[in-house]
Amino acid sequence: MHKGLLGETRRASPPWRSAVLGAVVAAGFLAPLSAQAAPAGCAELQEKYPDWKGKTLVNAINPHTPGYEAIDPKDPSKYVGFDIDLGEEIGECLGFKLTYKAVTFAALLTTLASGQADIVISDIYATEERAKAGDFITYSKVFDGVLVAKGNPKKITGINTSMCGAAAAENTGFVEVPLVQALIPQCKAEGKPEPTLQLYDNNANCIQAILAGRADTYVNDVNTVDNAVKAYPDKLEKAIAVTIPYSVGIAVPKNKPKFRDAVMAAMMEIYKSGDQLALLKKWGLDPANLKEPGLLTVN
Amino acid sequence: MSLFLHYLSLPYLLEGIEVTLQVTALGLGGGLILGLILAWMQLSRFWLLSAVARAYTVIFRGTPLILQMVFAYDALPHIGIKLPAIIAAGLALACNEAPFIAEMLRAGVLGVDRGQVSAGQALGMTPAVLMRRVIAPQAIRTMIPAFGNESVSALKNSSLASVIAVQELTLRSTQLASSTFDFFSIFFASGLLYLLLTGAVSLVQLFLEWLLDLDRAKKERSLADFLPWRRVALPVAIELAGKSAPKLCADPMPDNATLASPALTREERTKRAVTIARNNVAVEVKDLRKLYGPQTVLNGLDLTVRIGEVVALMGPSGSGKSTLLRCINHLENWDSGTVRVGGRRLGFRDDGRLLSPRDIANERAAVGVGMVFQQFNLFSHLTAKENVAGPLRWVHGLGRLDADRRASELLDRVGLSHRAAALPRHLSGGQQQRVAIARALAPNPSVLLLDEPTSALDPELVNEVLEVIRRLAIDDGLTMIISTHQIRFADEVADRVAFLSGGSIIEEGPAHEVLTNPSNPLTARFLSVMEADKAPEAVR
Repeated sequence: MHKGLLGETRRASPPWRSAVLGAVVAAGFLAPLSAQAAPAGCAELQEKYPDWKGKTLVNAINPHTPGYEAIDPKDPSKYVGFDIDLGEEIGECLGFKLTYKAVTFAALLTTLASGQADIVISDIYATEERAKAGDFITYSKVFDGVLVAKGNPKKITGINTSMCGAAAAENTGFVEVPLVQALIPQCKAEGKPEPTLQLYDNNANCIQAILAGRADTYVNDVNTVDNAVKAYPDKLEKAIAVTIPYSVGIAVPKNKPKFRDAVMAAMMEIYKSGDQLALLKKWGLDPANLKEPGLLTVN
Repeated sequence: MSLFLHYLSLPYLLEGIEVTLQVTALGLGGGLILGLILAWMQLSRFWLLSAVARAYTVIFRGTPLILQMVFAYDALPHIGIKLPAIIAAGLALACNEAPFIAEMLRAGVLGVDRGQVSAGQALGMTPAVLMRRVIAPQAIRTMIPAFGNESVSALKNSSLASVIAVQELTLRSTQLASSTFDFFSIFFASGLLYLLLTGAVSLVQLFLEWLLDLDRAKKERSLADFLPWRRVALPVAIELAGKSAPKLCADPMPDNATLASPALTREERTKRAVTIARNNVAVEVKDLRKLYGPQTVLNGLDLTVRIGEVVALMGPSGSGKSTLLRCINHLENWDSGTVRVGGRRLGFRDDGRLLSPRDIANERAAVGVGMVFQQFNLFSHLTAKENVAGPLRWVHGLGRLDADRRASELLDRVGLSHRAAALPRHLSGGQQQRVAIARALAPNPSVLLLDEPTSALDPELVNEVLEVIRRLAIDDGLTMIISTHQIRFADEVADRVAFLSGGSIIEEGPAHEVLTNPSNPLTARFLSVMEADKAPEAVR
């Protein structure tokens, strides 16, 4: 323990078992990819937006989503995933470096608004409601998966009246929460019991709720759901994938339009160069997620 | 199991311990400083200070720590205070711990027996000296278990810092669980790590308790006594019982006690009365009135005591004897009337305004009014010798050597040199009262006040104390005011007896005359009742 406290064993690599769900992560590492070289237009952008060159910015993340952002099981001192790589590449394009601040999902935007973070790249869906707390640069389509216990005992077929009477686990602050709540009047109209919501702090807790038999379903990003099924193939399954009408976005402070424009321009370069698609492939995510960057702001 | 062991030794988690300890240390350290300030404010004489402290306590004790963390982290930046996450978490934890620690401190201070405070005040200790030398040493000993509790709770509460991105043990565990899905192995490992940390706190607590144990010097205990299944108190109790009981009987009273001075003859008394009548006034009480709410305790009482005179205050309980004594050295305030000791109005400035507690204490020490209490009120954390020597050093500025010499001298005089190293709780009541008399005599007081000095004693222990007082009166010619129920003793020792009833003196005069031939029917009735009750136990 003393060694650990002194940090001397920090780099000592313990014999790591062959990962269970590491499949995705490992696939990512195996796929050869040169996403590190910044696209050609970036040099120009650094001239146009010189303010962040050489700076170190803080990226607030909720690192509980393997594939997007989670700590590296091989080296827990690092964060890895699609969003992490994307952020690094934006930084490289504009000339800044990123450090990470791990917060709960619900605290992502408050952390940004209080100035404790400069940017949020954490698989957060851009909604009008959230856009009141920060400007969004959207970069990915959203496909949700419906996670259920093996055999789908409640016969859930999507975010519809098949969920009436079911217990849905969700992360506090997730957009799926109001979607499930919207079912309540529908269920009532059909004379069925209402769905109930259990709110947790992170992904792992939601998955544990299903494993423990406390919840019947957990609706989240389809890749997250797929990863959970890979980790517990005997106990979990994906009932169905559904589209929901949002995009994933990068959040930046509302009072820094210049920074927003710079990030937007960098995203466009990354999209156009094909690096974004390559990153999706590297992390084993569905290329269908690819979307031309856009803006979502409200006043 | 191997996964569990793997996570248990994972540097990533072990580094989280470091952060956890940092937040805890900030929380406890800051909480202690803030708590001291809060407790001081709450115990203050100024209502505004205590009201502010009370409001703070209500707010910070009444809101969840998790909200305070988020506030310190996310709200403070809006007013321009952007603290690093660990500092913000430490600040929130400190603000949250402070009221709990303050209440512990307050409970500890208030838990110290009032008599200890009275005794310290009577010896002329200023509030600061009293706090440092008497109250704090006793309070700290009683507060250690509560502090242990608070430290463990702060350590666990530090896990809430995970909500504001502090990379402590809990946050690292949840992140690791999310990325590996090894939910249970990781949480068992981090649970065990927390257990090791809180276990270490418990060990520190036990060590401190052992270190500050007053009985430790008497008997080196084996460490095994501190195992939770061993009763610590039992062997000590047995040892004490075995030790003190035979000691008591064998306790040698001062040699001259056995050939006690016989009561003065009539001629000697008359001679003494004539001498005293020529002496200056030592204590003068004029028209003293004091109310406790609607009840009158002292009702225009007058009393004059001359140097070298011994006055016995007698009368039923509640007649105002103790209150009168406590007013003479200004341990209590009164409503009207004057008290002069050695010609000075103790506790008042020349213009008649009341002095601060600190100045009253200094004046008490300067004028020299010693006091002996019914309940002895020895400082329970100090040995017999320190009880006498300590106040000499702290109040009168004597050096250690001089104070020790004087203490030994006085303990010898009350026949207790062989018990100099004993703690009060290891002394019999009579021995304690003799030490208390030695303590009161140490600074050479001009007047000694004795408040029912034998009432709390078992009958067989009364004599040893009375004998000491008798010698002070007859051999040393000390001015004394004694409230007592011992009629025989009063007859033998007192020059004058004053009978109190309803807060005023209803009869006073030469001791022998008043006691044998009272003129007031109330006095007569009281005496006959006392005589009937006390006869078998009366002095010799």
